[in-house]
Amino acid sequence: MKDVSEVVGALSRVPGVIVAMIVGANDGLIVESSQVPGAQTNVDTRKHTAALAAYLYSKVTRASNAARLGIPAFMRLEAEKGHICVVGAGEVVLVTIVTPDANLGRVRLDMMTAAKEAA
Amino acid sequence: MSDPTVAEPWVAAPLRRLMEDARLISGVLLYPSGRAVGQFGFTNAADVMSICALTSAINASARELGRQLDGKPFYEMHHAGAERQVFMARASAGAQEFLFVGVFDRESSLGVVEMYFTEFQKALEKLRPDAAAPAPAIKLGGDFEGELNRSLDALFGPIGKR
Repeated sequence: MKDVSEVVGALSRVPGVIVAMIVGANDGLIVESSQVPGAQTNVDTRKHTAALAAYLYSKVTRASNAARLGIPAFMRLEAEKGHICVVGAGEVVLVTIVTPDANLGRVRLDMMTAAKEAA
Repeated sequence: MSDPTVAEPWVAAPLRRLMEDARLISGVLLYPSGRAVGQFGFTNAADVMSICALTSAINASARELGRQLDGKPFYEMHHAGAERQVFMARASAGAQEFLFVGVFDRESSLGVVEMYFTEFQKALEKLRPDAAAPAPAIKLGGDFEGELNRSLDALFGPIGKR
């Protein structure tokens, strides 16, 4: 199991990732976060994104279970100016804020790998 | 989910929004003296009375503990129970301080409650009536019980009509 700082550090170096966070799955609080230099996100933005992303992921998990699909592997929210990606890793979730032009396949793969290391 | 009942009408909208957005089961907004300003989720005045008294006492103790340990009062407290969780924090509107205590379950999370509580604080600050008289401070040996009963009358109606 990798140190959480290493996990978010590695994720934040993935091209297109602006912010990478490890967030408590149940409380929605940030465990560790890292952002690329120059990213225009402040502490409040990260806290709010973390809380809502973890909350959303818990609801998606319920929907997925209700549909008898099991635990969701990867969640991506596409917005006007980018994406929010979430992957569950046991007691925590990995959350990234990604630019619109990012290579989402790479982001997904790296987040799935990081989730295994963080769990 | 029932609408909040309030002793001061200007807190009704922010309290309702906090209740709905943070998916709180119940909550009480009060003055640090223990006087209730608004509540939701309770139908029994005695429950609100107990919560106001306990929250006021907890705030006073935690404030002093914070001062001794950290040199400044604690800002908020959280207790995670097996099924339900309690969130307690201070809010201010101008010079007036308030306490809020809310209960939530797995339908919400601490992060979500904290986030919407920040918005609630901003709403209180924005909506506070300029000419609002500050809440009378409770003096030692003052009429704590009378204050509490008057605020409960405002929320639930006078005794005998509750």
